[in-house]
Amino acid sequence: MEITSRALVAQRKKAYSRRGVYLWFIAPAVAVIFAVIVFPWIFTLWMSVNDWRIGSEIKFIGLENFATLATNTRFLSTIPRTLYFTVLAVILPVILGVFAAEVFHQNFPLRGLLRGIYVAPMMATPVAIALVFTMMFHPQVGVLNFLLSLVGIPKQLWVYSADTVIPTLALVEVWQWTPLVMLIVLGGLASLPTEPYESAVIDGANQWQMFRYITFPLILPFLMIAIIIRTIDALKSFDIIYVISQGGPGTASETINIYLYLQAFSFLQIGHASAVVVVFFTIILALAIILLVARERLRWNR
Amino acid sequence: MESVNPVRKFEIPYRLNRFFGRVALFGAVIAVVSPAIFVFFWMLSLSLKNEIDNIAYPPVFIPAPPTLDNYIKIFSESNYVLYAYNSVIVSGMATLIALLVGVPAGYGIAKGKAQGLGMLIMVARITPGLSYLIPLFMLFRALQISGTLLALTISHLVITIPMVVWVMISFFEDMHPELEEAALTDGCNVWQAFYRVAMPIARPGIAVAAILAFIQSWNNFLFGVVIAGRTTRTLPVAVFNAMTFEQLSWGPVAAAALVVTLPSLLLTIFVQRDIVTGLAAGSVKG
Amino acid sequence: MSKKLTRREFLKRSAILGTGVASAAILNACAPTPEPTKAPAPTAVPPAPTTAPAAPTTAPAAPVTVAPTAAPKAAFDWKRFKGEKIEALLIKNTQGDIMVKHLKEFEELTGITVGADQPAEQQQRQKLAVEFASGQTSFDVVYYSFHVQKRLFGKNKWVADVRDYLNDPTMVAPDWDWNDFSAAGKAWSTEPDGRIDAVSNKIDYCIVYCNKELFAAKNVPLPKTYDDIVSAAQKLHDPSKNIYGFVGRGLKNANTMLWCWMLLGWDIDVIDSKLNLNTTSPEAIECAKMYQNLMKNYAPPGVGGFNWNESQSAFALGQAAMWMDGVGFAAPLEDPKSSKVVGKVAYVVMPKGPKAQWAGMTGDGMGVSAFSKKKGPAWYFCMWAASKAMLARSFAAGSGAQSRNSVYTDPDALKSLVVPKEWVDTVVASGKIGRAALPIIVPVTEFRDIFGVALNNMIGGADAATELKKATDEFKPILAKSEA
Repeated sequence: MEITSRALVAQRKKAYSRRGVYLWFIAPAVAVIFAVIVFPWIFTLWMSVNDWRIGSEIKFIGLENFATLATNTRFLSTIPRTLYFTVLAVILPVILGVFAAEVFHQNFPLRGLLRGIYVAPMMATPVAIALVFTMMFHPQVGVLNFLLSLVGIPKQLWVYSADTVIPTLALVEVWQWTPLVMLIVLGGLASLPTEPYESAVIDGANQWQMFRYITFPLILPFLMIAIIIRTIDALKSFDIIYVISQGGPGTASETINIYLYLQAFSFLQIGHASAVVVVFFTIILALAIILLVARERLRWNR
Repeated sequence: MESVNPVRKFEIPYRLNRFFGRVALFGAVIAVVSPAIFVFFWMLSLSLKNEIDNIAYPPVFIPAPPTLDNYIKIFSESNYVLYAYNSVIVSGMATLIALLVGVPAGYGIAKGKAQGLGMLIMVARITPGLSYLIPLFMLFRALQISGTLLALTISHLVITIPMVVWVMISFFEDMHPELEEAALTDGCNVWQAFYRVAMPIARPGIAVAAILAFIQSWNNFLFGVVIAGRTTRTLPVAVFNAMTFEQLSWGPVAAAALVVTLPSLLLTIFVQRDIVTGLAAGSVKG
Repeated sequence: MSKKLTRREFLKRSAILGTGVASAAILNACAPTPEPTKAPAPTAVPPAPTTAPAAPTTAPAAPVTVAPTAAPKAAFDWKRFKGEKIEALLIKNTQGDIMVKHLKEFEELTGITVGADQPAEQQQRQKLAVEFASGQTSFDVVYYSFHVQKRLFGKNKWVADVRDYLNDPTMVAPDWDWNDFSAAGKAWSTEPDGRIDAVSNKIDYCIVYCNKELFAAKNVPLPKTYDDIVSAAQKLHDPSKNIYGFVGRGLKNANTMLWCWMLLGWDIDVIDSKLNLNTTSPEAIECAKMYQNLMKNYAPPGVGGFNWNESQSAFALGQAAMWMDGVGFAAPLEDPKSSKVVGKVAYVVMPKGPKAQWAGMTGDGMGVSAFSKKKGPAWYFCMWAASKAMLARSFAAGSGAQSRNSVYTDPDALKSLVVPKEWVDTVVASGKIGRAALPIIVPVTEFRDIFGVALNNMIGGADAATELKKATDEFKPILAKSEA
């Protein structure tokens, strides 16, 4: 923080002595967080070492749930699938989001309204959107296949084929969440200094060069934020997949979260499901840490 | 937003060819906005047609004549007014509580450099919502509040609190400390410095936090499915009720989807400027 | 006439239904004798411990329909629970819609206020399981599916034994007539130990919906055997014209129904009463191959993602020559607002398989939550919901096969029937060859899911025998654990 370089030592000491006071600001939140967030974590950890199917006795079984998971091919196959979905649902929104941000950074009539419309998908209820997309994807009567046929592309199976279901679901995710990336990048663009562009224009740089060598490095920190948020949310994506494909066809779109839901609420295997939560959580945490470290590095390099 | 954009004055040299730039921009705007417009248009279209037109191929784009049957059906079968009321109460209360405890917490964490707590919030933010569900459900059972709006509100705190705290931490961290320092030197206590100085400056951040938290809570489906009861159901859960077993129900489903989504869409159109301003002011820089 | 015949036939076929020795007891208990619950069989169920909570004057074993006013104090009164409030957890389906639509009648009749809820089927099943398991329920009455939840509920005793009420003339409306319920309906709701968990509302049979126009155009006769189905699918399949020979559920979980329905044609249950899995038997493999053949070669592209919903759309648009599914889907097909095949549908009784002809059945009913504090009023609601008038309404709306024999001859219902008369004939004919399609086990959902994945893989071209073997290996320990 800048204060260290600027402020007096005395001030720092004073600030340090105030730390105790700041804890009072945090206390109510901590109390609530313990009740509704930390308690469930502990409960889940405890359940993950028990065998419990709703409706039968709870039995302590140690790490057996985890051992079962380690050899359960159906569960194991959900991990690469989840990552595949996540990669698509992160990279595409980032590329498209930067493009859209550049567009909305320009001046044109009705910009406010159009930007509002563009942002709307991210605020729309996922369940509702997913239901509408399901109808649009129908292989025989869906409107998307009709639109494709207008430009001579043959009918696609969308979510009705094991090969295309993940990219298609990612497409819905892209549709819904690219606006968030756009907003974050737009915030970044707005904060850019003007000097580099001035000198670049004088040097005769073209638009692409200006983007590549000035804009891109400057918005990179914003992009990192977008990537982190997107990665976490894509990993956790549930509503859209649950509503559109329910993990199908077969298990072709069964991500960790869908598998977890199936175990917990369809099969009522709370112990098993809790173990899945623990593993899932570890994966998300690991990825988040990797991304945060990457971001810190980026900061240092600047 | 228009007023805070420093690049604006640069637009003329930035664009090499004004006319082609204009056409290209026009095309780009259309390309960017059309997917959103199309999906919402299709939702509307489906909701205004009867089933035979909804499954027709080639598809019927403009309902002729449009029918309100789907809306009549869903409103006569489900109490959407009640569900909307529940949604407003649950999301509103969850957001309000999150702001009450979350804004000071964000301030405290940022100023007190309580990194551990910051991490806790981060971890809470990344935990899959599903994993809270079972323990909370058991807790509510034990407290005998299962199925009440109170229980639902508490469960939604899981969504709103991390969101608010998380946005506020980065906002307060980025805020220049001189003003508060000055206030403190002038004899304000820490609370006054927060309330009188930091809070007003952070207003755009608070707005973003509130909007994001509210919308995330509004759109949440999972908690409602398991925790809500018949009279405490929220709107997203109600969409599913438009699907009747053994009946084709694309029209009613689309109508219900539209009814549920409409409030957040309208809210977006009205507040998107605040979100943009808030984000520009650095609320997600972290 | 058809009423009597049906009843006898129902009785005959339900010999298949029950599990093990106990089924004999069930059968006798369900036979149309004046004694509703006491079975004269050797494994007779002991007289119900008449513990009807609100009825101290229980008249044990008084025949319900004979002497309702035998004891002056024991008169039945619909208004007995006036002023009470109950919660009913129904499902969003036609049956539930009809109950909600006529709820006022019940409230006026009894003075009981009902909060009726109708979540979508999947959510409802999850909700009630979680609530039951936690030992408290927010509902007093629950609508559930025997083919999915019978064993789960029965094993855990989650619903109250309604024999207490059936045996108590003060708790049963004189004209309600328990004996009007079909034997199959009674058998569905009876547990192996003789408890009666629910009042059966409806029973559905698997039938084949055929598009008469498409069959006539190519002069193909309606199918009478499984071979006919395959050859008709082959002859009528014409993807260039957007016509497909066959359509059915391909989505995992849902598709297991189809395979189990078809398997009955080989005269075996997928899991027998001793819990032996027949899932890798030659018959099961042959059946899976038939499923694979129909779905892979003659169904619309993307059928692997089809549930009843998409299948129904394809058939309603006239794009599928045949559609195999439950009998309850007829009404939308006969509604010009949602169908292009109005008047063109032949409702074909499930054809004869290589070994036998059975119509696979599923069933729904209503029970009283064992945790309810208002069991009496809850029972009144179950009774009303399965009354002659109510089931006749469901019948007229084309919502599957109702559990009461009398509805099929109800003149008013027949008059206001939204589906053709042939449909009724098919229902009645199916009733004579009905047989439970899904195993009566606790982990039905896992069963449907695991074998559903296998069947779905087959549509994609996987080998039937290998997939079934894999699924069986995966499912076996789950079954063993659940019954341990």
